[in-house]
Amino acid sequence: MCGIAGLAFADPRHVEDIVLRRIAGAIRHRGPDGYGVFTDGRVSLVHTRLAIIDLAGGAQPLGNEDGLVQVVFNGEIYNYRELRAELVALGHRFATHSDTEVLVHGYEAWGLDLLRRLIGQFAFALYDRRDGSLLLARDRFGVRPLFHARVPGGVVFGSEVKALFASGLVQPAPDPRGLDEVYTFWAALPPRTPFRGVESLEPGCWARYRRGQWQTGRYYAIDYPAAPVEPADAVEQLDHLLRSAVDLRMRADVPVGSYLSGGLDSTITCTLAAELSPHRLRTFSVTFEDPRFDESPFQREVAASVGSEHAVETIGPGAIAESFPDVIRFTETPLVRTAPVPLFLLARLTRERGITVALSGEGADEVFLGYDLFKEVKIRRFCQRRPDSQARPKLFQRLYPYLGDNERAGEFWSRFFLDAGVPGDPLESHLPRFRLTSAIKDFYSADMRGAVSGSDPLEELRGRLPDAFRRWTPVHRAAYLELVTLLSPYLLSSQGDRVGLAHAVEGRHPFLDHRLFELAARLPESSKLRGLREKDILRRWSRGVIPDIVTRRPKQPYRAPDIPSFVGTGAPEYVREHLAEDRVRAAGFFDTRAVAGLMRRADAGKAVGFRENQAFVGILSAQLWHEHFFRNFDVKPVREPPDVWIDTRRHADPVDSRSLNTTTTPLAL
Amino acid sequence: MSTNPEIAEQVREFLRDNLLYMRPDCMLEDHTRLLEERVIDSMGVMELITFIERTFGIRVPDKEITEANLGSVASISTYVRGKLESAAAA
Repeated sequence: MCGIAGLAFADPRHVEDIVLRRIAGAIRHRGPDGYGVFTDGRVSLVHTRLAIIDLAGGAQPLGNEDGLVQVVFNGEIYNYRELRAELVALGHRFATHSDTEVLVHGYEAWGLDLLRRLIGQFAFALYDRRDGSLLLARDRFGVRPLFHARVPGGVVFGSEVKALFASGLVQPAPDPRGLDEVYTFWAALPPRTPFRGVESLEPGCWARYRRGQWQTGRYYAIDYPAAPVEPADAVEQLDHLLRSAVDLRMRADVPVGSYLSGGLDSTITCTLAAELSPHRLRTFSVTFEDPRFDESPFQREVAASVGSEHAVETIGPGAIAESFPDVIRFTETPLVRTAPVPLFLLARLTRERGITVALSGEGADEVFLGYDLFKEVKIRRFCQRRPDSQARPKLFQRLYPYLGDNERAGEFWSRFFLDAGVPGDPLESHLPRFRLTSAIKDFYSADMRGAVSGSDPLEELRGRLPDAFRRWTPVHRAAYLELVTLLSPYLLSSQGDRVGLAHAVEGRHPFLDHRLFELAARLPESSKLRGLREKDILRRWSRGVIPDIVTRRPKQPYRAPDIPSFVGTGAPEYVREHLAEDRVRAAGFFDTRAVAGLMRRADAGKAVGFRENQAFVGILSAQLWHEHFFRNFDVKPVREPPDVWIDTRRHADPVDSRSLNTTTTPLAL
Repeated sequence: MSTNPEIAEQVREFLRDNLLYMRPDCMLEDHTRLLEERVIDSMGVMELITFIERTFGIRVPDKEITEANLGSVASISTYVRGKLESAAAA
């Protein structure tokens, strides 16, 4: 796993080495094993490397045979061996054994069609010096991030927004509409970000910059061409693709570990990984001292069953608050939940134990309809068919027994789901969640309200839905919304890439193999959600493969405690500092009296509801985000010598970038 | 025994201090629909019930947690008044 960044201009201009080193410094945590630079004045590419495949030869930027195509790449192309064989047959000569190199030769051979051939998780920037174009591309579901900003006469891009700011060409400033999306969906939806002028390349898309012209396109569109009945060999197909998806993700020249939550999805991943791993599998779990959130008995059982060497990060009472400011620095966005923190700590543990690649079960709930939200869709329709029924709405209460007190909320609890939206609204499935999250907006300052007046994130989302959306079943529509509003912009980012790469740990997600997704999308809804039984086909497949205790276990959503971490004895001082009236006023996002009211309630132990918990986290994280990016933003340039530094302004055009590695030295700072 | 307006005022004060402190401009009339106007949600209703039980010394059984009883300041005060009266009569 790595970090990438760079600059492209319509006309060549002088770029100081220190700027490129600062950019590298901003994303150094993603790739601590080395860094490299290519520049010819028109385009500069920066790469920080975490060595996983071809440890000796995989340094970047990396060029083709004549050096006229250069690439920086973050991620993995799992089918690189197969693509390489095809390209060699076409006459291409490979200088390395890395997956990166298939990008440059593949681009020469197939152009943009290359993207459809890739199985993997990737974000890359490819410079074609023959026509002066820079191509940016991102994987289908958005596992790897890629941001860009248009600046006068050019474009700046990077794996993280801090690389754009480090260039000095993009001034850090908040975008109220991006923030408003965070407080609607949990994250800004690509292309929007919470930063003014900074965009996120949409998953499944590419962008090309050529001499001042900017063009974008989509190479992958999510679809649900569901068959009316399940094919007779569906479980067999699933078996083949699941094994293949895990097998491809075990490809690495370093040991691959696996995250283990104790649920169905990560147990499947761990079981298959243990079968396929040449070493004893290493597994990693996070658990809580608070017994209400402790899943360790399940985790231990699975670890014993797969025979893994297991390590556990136990989260004590102070850990969430202690790491929260660091997490915001890496997620680069305000958050409405603290759930990224345990995953940040899990990645730290994984790295400390010497593992840099970890499989996860991420994506299974979206692909195989595991979330309760999909059941809500079914129950809502069931209720709508008999609006006068007293009994039907009680099904909602059965969905969330773990929320304890809500069982007593009776009719109010059901009405929350039933009244949220107009039947037929394309966002109906998600309106309860969107409206619940939007309650944070009650805390907005007058300025913030003014800045977002006239815009409606829900209306914008409705307007961006693909034409095919109307053809899908209500549950598949909900699954699509889940993918594009939560999985890509939030789970894969704030709970995935960003907290993993904070410790240079690469997450790999077999359930997000697009072939597996496409198989699931072709299955009828009932293969996945049979009645109110979630992930049905996955459960059928797993019978006899994974421990019974896991298949029988009711689904436990991943939760981390919120407000109690930040108030009371032992709470860190920064919380009160950042929520003090002057700081809240200076940031300008929230109303000082409303925040004071929330603190009063939190101190009194009264802020126990979901709305106030998310408001507390949403406000505190925005204050931390403001402090880091707009008051004290600072990046240190990388000072050690690079692995690769190709500067064609000082040297003849490279024939082979590897040879230049030994002959080119950057100017001293 | 509290009269309806007194009960209504106590309920209103509770709602303003605890569930509406971030929306000082929200007009909380007697017949404002609390669920529709997002004054209470399912957690809010639990807090409201706890408040009612403690303040007025009555018990709110699960089957009486309905919008008809708890959906507005007016319906809450009528409901509480009714409970107090039946307790006094018993």
